[in-house]
Amino acid sequence: MSTPLKLIGVYLIAIIVQLTVFIDVRVAGVAPELLAMVAVIAGFFAGTERGPIIAFGAGLIWDIYLPTPLGVAAITFALVAFAVASLEEGLFHDSRFQLFTVVGLASGTTVIGYALLGELVGQRGLVDVEMLRVALLVGVINAALSPLAVPVMKWALVDGERR
Amino acid sequence: MALAQRIGRSRHRLVLLALTAITLLTLDLRSFGPLDSAQRFVRDLLHPVTEVAGTVFSPFSDAWNAVFDYDDLEAENAELILELEQFRGDEIRAEAERQAFLRLLEATEITYLADVPFVAATVVRGAVGNFDSDVITIDKGSQKGIRSGMAVVTGAGLVGRVDRVDATTATVQLISDNNLVVGVRLVDTDQVGLGQAVPGEDGVFAIDQGLDWPEDDDLSLLPAPGTAVVTAAASRYPAEIPVGWVIAAEQAADELSLEVTVRLANDVGDLGFVSVLLTEGVDQVPLEDPVPATSVPLTVDTQPPDGSEEQGDG
Repeated sequence: MSTPLKLIGVYLIAIIVQLTVFIDVRVAGVAPELLAMVAVIAGFFAGTERGPIIAFGAGLIWDIYLPTPLGVAAITFALVAFAVASLEEGLFHDSRFQLFTVVGLASGTTVIGYALLGELVGQRGLVDVEMLRVALLVGVINAALSPLAVPVMKWALVDGERR
Repeated sequence: MALAQRIGRSRHRLVLLALTAITLLTLDLRSFGPLDSAQRFVRDLLHPVTEVAGTVFSPFSDAWNAVFDYDDLEAENAELILELEQFRGDEIRAEAERQAFLRLLEATEITYLADVPFVAATVVRGAVGNFDSDVITIDKGSQKGIRSGMAVVTGAGLVGRVDRVDATTATVQLISDNNLVVGVRLVDTDQVGLGQAVPGEDGVFAIDQGLDWPEDDDLSLLPAPGTAVVTAAASRYPAEIPVGWVIAAEQAADELSLEVTVRLANDVGDLGFVSVLLTEGVDQVPLEDPVPATSVPLTVDTQPPDGSEEQGDG
């Protein structure tokens, strides 16, 4: 199966699980951001060239269901994936803890970036103290879920072209 | 050299992605038809899959809620027992108040939902993301005649407005969203103003535009607590839909305007069924219970409909 097909499959599974399981299953009212996790892991493994494009696709799918205009999550994810990919080039490659930390921090960053950009395009009430709480919890939950997501993403990216 | 080229290429791609996103944003903000249709198509395509997946995953969700929400359920149960005892004691008084309210409705000739076609719908899910807690998705869409902007109600009153419409589902922006501004009328004084939910205060709505402080500071002209608040005829919703009742009226900071605080009639945090009024901006809207209220009803006794699939014919 080609990588684009695998990635489409990953996008679909992520959005379906997000729309079904994580409507009810929340920690302190906060759901994980699976598409953001896909974007961050893509940035980590696919590098600065492919990572942002894969992240953009994940954001675009998520945008279809979010109340903000199309493109807000997409560009946020792409920028964060680019940052992760750039950062990853300077990191050691032998630590799982390092990967999970990056997933957590970058996932939290996508939440803050999404809220800031959403406010910029006219969506009110996104930037407040609650945003920081959501970002923190999303970071922790996504980091905790990343051991499940990383193998799937490695498979979709043909076991990671950079590693 | 190769690394520099790769970084340069990456940046060019990132710029292209940014331009694509800006284009999409602009088109979406301008409600570009083909883009809306494409998004609807994807949602409609995935809807049956999410339905099936929802059924498959529901035991997991139920188990999660049973384990992690057990303390909440226990506390809620204790609270409900207390409330039940209190309700038993208040039964007679409540009946008297209900009769008084019905007389008020008759006296002010408020009619609500008679002769207006509606579609009863089930709430299929609440928020999908972490920032859209004031949005619900219902199981009826454009195939049932639902259009964006239509009012959504329960027997208790206004719930919100239809936002995004797909073929078989629609999303509703709830009245608890402070971005949703509603034109309302105070039944007592017949004043018309604009209001929205107060952020961070559940079930509280503030009318802070369009109301004047009484001349000569005559406090007898202020709306009395308990006064019914309904949608105004000039609003974008059908007129006379109950919104709530006044709990406080005070002078605004500019000393010229009146600010009225309203308790919303609906508890939008716990909706199971709603009705979508298949009309927009008519002057008089009529009364008949579409679906059971999920909170204290402002209208006459409610009887559950035969089924949520039924389409009202007024």
